[in-house]
Amino acid sequence: MRIIGHLDQEVETNLRGAGLGLTVSEARSIADILRRDPTLPELFNYDTMWSEHCSYKSSRATLQEFLHTTGPNVVQGPEEDAGIVAIDDTWCVVIAHESHNHPSQILPNEGAATGIGGIVRDVNCMGAKVVATADPLRFGDPNGPDANHVRWVAEGVVDGIWQYGNALGVPVMAGDVVFDDSFDTNCLVNVVAIGVVKRDEIIKSRAPPGAGEKGYDVILIGKPTDSSGFGGVTFASEALRAEDEDANRGAIQIPDPFLKNVLFKANQDLFEMTRSEGITIGFKDLGGGGFTCASSEMGASAGYGMDLDLDLVHRAGDLPPEVIGCAETQERFLLICPPKMTPRALNIYNEDWDLPNVYEGARASMVGKMTTNGRYITRHKGRETCNVPIEHLTGGIRYQREEKPREMHHMEPAIEVPQDLSQVLLRVLASPNTSSREHVYRYYDTEVQGNTVIRPGEADAGLIAPVRGERFGIALSVDSNPFYGRISPYWAGATAVAEAMRNVASIGAVPWTMTDCLNFGNPEKPEAFWEFREAVRGLSDAAKALWLKGHQNAPVPIVSGNVSFYNESPEGTVDPSPVIACVGLIDDVGDAVTMNLKEPGNNIFLIGPRFDELGGSDYYRTVCGATGANVPQVRFDLERKMIHTTIDSIARGFVVSAHDISNGGLGATAAEMALTGKADLGIELALDRAGSSRLGTDRLIFSESSGFLLECRAGAEEDLAGLMKERGLDLMRLGAVKDAPELVMTRKDTKVVCLDLEAARKAWTGGLVEAMR
Amino acid sequence: MKVAVIQFPGSNCEHETLVAARSAGLNGEIFRWNRPAEELCDFDGYMIPGGFSYQDRLRAGAIASKEPVMETLKEEADEGKPVLGICNGFQILVESGMLPGLDGVDAALAQNVMVTKGEIVRRGFYCAWISLRHDAVAGRCSGSYLIDKGSLIDMPMAHAEGNLVTADENLIEKLNEENQIVFRYCDTGGETKNEFPVNVNGSVENIAGICNPEGNVLGMMPHPERSSFAWQLPFVDPAARRQIDTPGPGRLIFESMKRYIEVSG
Repeated sequence: MRIIGHLDQEVETNLRGAGLGLTVSEARSIADILRRDPTLPELFNYDTMWSEHCSYKSSRATLQEFLHTTGPNVVQGPEEDAGIVAIDDTWCVVIAHESHNHPSQILPNEGAATGIGGIVRDVNCMGAKVVATADPLRFGDPNGPDANHVRWVAEGVVDGIWQYGNALGVPVMAGDVVFDDSFDTNCLVNVVAIGVVKRDEIIKSRAPPGAGEKGYDVILIGKPTDSSGFGGVTFASEALRAEDEDANRGAIQIPDPFLKNVLFKANQDLFEMTRSEGITIGFKDLGGGGFTCASSEMGASAGYGMDLDLDLVHRAGDLPPEVIGCAETQERFLLICPPKMTPRALNIYNEDWDLPNVYEGARASMVGKMTTNGRYITRHKGRETCNVPIEHLTGGIRYQREEKPREMHHMEPAIEVPQDLSQVLLRVLASPNTSSREHVYRYYDTEVQGNTVIRPGEADAGLIAPVRGERFGIALSVDSNPFYGRISPYWAGATAVAEAMRNVASIGAVPWTMTDCLNFGNPEKPEAFWEFREAVRGLSDAAKALWLKGHQNAPVPIVSGNVSFYNESPEGTVDPSPVIACVGLIDDVGDAVTMNLKEPGNNIFLIGPRFDELGGSDYYRTVCGATGANVPQVRFDLERKMIHTTIDSIARGFVVSAHDISNGGLGATAAEMALTGKADLGIELALDRAGSSRLGTDRLIFSESSGFLLECRAGAEEDLAGLMKERGLDLMRLGAVKDAPELVMTRKDTKVVCLDLEAARKAWTGGLVEAMR
Repeated sequence: MKVAVIQFPGSNCEHETLVAARSAGLNGEIFRWNRPAEELCDFDGYMIPGGFSYQDRLRAGAIASKEPVMETLKEEADEGKPVLGICNGFQILVESGMLPGLDGVDAALAQNVMVTKGEIVRRGFYCAWISLRHDAVAGRCSGSYLIDKGSLIDMPMAHAEGNLVTADENLIEKLNEENQIVFRYCDTGGETKNEFPVNVNGSVENIAGICNPEGNVLGMMPHPERSSFAWQLPFVDPAARRQIDTPGPGRLIFESMKRYIEVSG
């Protein structure tokens, strides 16, 4: 393409005409380095590698400034496809977290399924067995002006997740669904995958040492390359416009869980062969940026060059070189191995697992060699189509974006305490965001692999025992509240961390590592970039203040994550959504507790007083139609003490049920404890001690201030009180479990809430069904 | 005693099925579909695990049922060796004609349709823990050999197509007459109310599992391998969870096959 010696206007026209997203100055800088006009395939390679999605060009500086990615348990931080933390001396947990927002808005089913497909590949290619996924989902207002479209998106996304995950055979252990009108034209589909691997069996997604000198082979495995997903990362790095919808459809990848299932098993055989023979390989999945991204990153991260023959790539039909390089065809992996291993590696895929007969055109093919010249070279039909310095291609560029606080005018609503708080609680229980998630999680196979100990709906986090014969358990939870983000991106970041940690603490697991998926608007707009920075600052402050239990001042490490910008359309931008996934660790799954009430007569205690901070609460939105201004804050010292002491009180057997307070406040939290499990026990609570005597009763019930409700084992009350006192926490006895199916709350000895559990159940289980009908 | 867990492309429960079989004292291995079929003859019993073999192309189980390994499996079953098909394995056995195993009579496992008070409230995939009532007498069927009639067993179901339907209106009557209905979906009290959520998938007469007339081939939609250890059960007493080997109710299925092999061998 002609760049050198041409006017900006001409270059701009040429770039856009070719369908490239590169700016004119980016294109000129490439020509400068090459000292010639780049070829079209070269420009597409740079377009892909320098996209926001692959290069983090807007976000990297902020992430490096704030995030804590190291720690005493970190085996591998965010530098590869997935992060890794140690469980014990032998086992590690592998975690990755991504978004698949744009594709899911355009084609919900395929978009969401590809999200799952991509994230499980990231974990598998580290040599791990994928043992669980989680899906934080954000949809528009199901009752707003775009209701039909919002419901179509929501249904398609859930279908895509179950159709992919269930067929693949990985259980969904956690997730959430939030409806908010800022997602009307930009849904968020985040996906988390975790795996387990032995520490000495981790496989790197880079060329192994010596690969260049010894001319290792490069092998492409999986589905035949087609044109699907061509331009996917560029599309993900722009705002969505309705007029581009047809063009954008072509940028969406086509997922195939069946082929993935077979590939995972073949990969397992490959891993076992290399381990038994002591051969080091490089292995990486092909995701965003396709073949170009995976190959160049594997070479560059080891300091080698590559010489690749695109004619050897198995593909569906005749494709131009830039499509072979940059299409995002799913279900593919790249292997770098010594030539003597190549025939056996090909045999595993092409003969043992019979890929060509299991799936049309699928196979493993040797496509090139590693070199030491530092060049990224591709050939096609006898011509050299790309020859660029590999580190320049993968190094990307950095932008220092401008930031400017968004002007906001949030006000607290003027409201009277409602007369009938029972009815108000019913409305909150039935709201799309507080109601039971059962309607969705019944679509997910939460039992496959047979490792499930605590499943969605039983507690605040899911728990698996992923290694048979071992006692340890891995807990998983996700959180982010867009309504808090709307008011304060900083506190949205901090509360997402605190809540995700509280969730795993509620079953007795220690928050052990986190991932962040940062969903924001267009970073070229200073307000959106400010929101991004504020949220990262908030979550980072929380990760540090709520340190790793047993390692004072060592932040809970964030070992993997993803930044998703451009979640906006002409209709508006999404509420700032820093989504956090937290992995918890418990030494013995036998010690974990669920949230359902256990025994009549057991005392119910609260830790975490109620504050007048109902901004963004479900009560304000559902009942008052307001957002409010006083967003819940994380009181870092109090929060850390609550989380760590709850874990200890469960480990010591003092607490038999625990549930953290979030959406819908104390009222919804108490109701959920009664409505889970057999659901034949009631609860009676006196609210007087729950917060300041000046707080209105509605605020005591619905404030979403952080805290826990704990059901104490009979006879352990003094032990529990002693432990809390020792840790400087105020343990508030609110009431007890009742042998009658009702939910009662009193203040100053007057009943303020009295609900029949059957009525509460109807409201609570019906809300999401109604929202997704 | 050695069992083969037959793995098709797309199977996804073979590992936990083998673990469950071993927990019941059976030896075994995973048998890849494209191994020489005659090697299958060396085993004493067979399990076809759950999953989405061949992506449910055409119909769930349809492609796998035509694989050469299934011909050999039929011959081994004709010798009286036990076969257990779970979920997709049940679908494959139905597609192959091994179940219900009555000549000229056909059944299929169709899409789940959940009906409450005459209204369809949901369709398709559903994952939940359910109760099964064992409606065959002990000793009738290889996979429930040790289970008394009327016993209740809890385990999870997780499928989109487990709704047993037939075009032959006499089929169900025949199955009842021949005592081929092994498991029915029921409530915690053992009642087989023909309505969602007790009848979880719309299956006729709440049928969850059937055997062939000889009783050596059992197909069931729910997953006993996910209920073979007490710690796998929802809301289980943590005390039961602490003993890693405490059996769950699903283990009886695997122990039954073991006993059947001992007795018939």
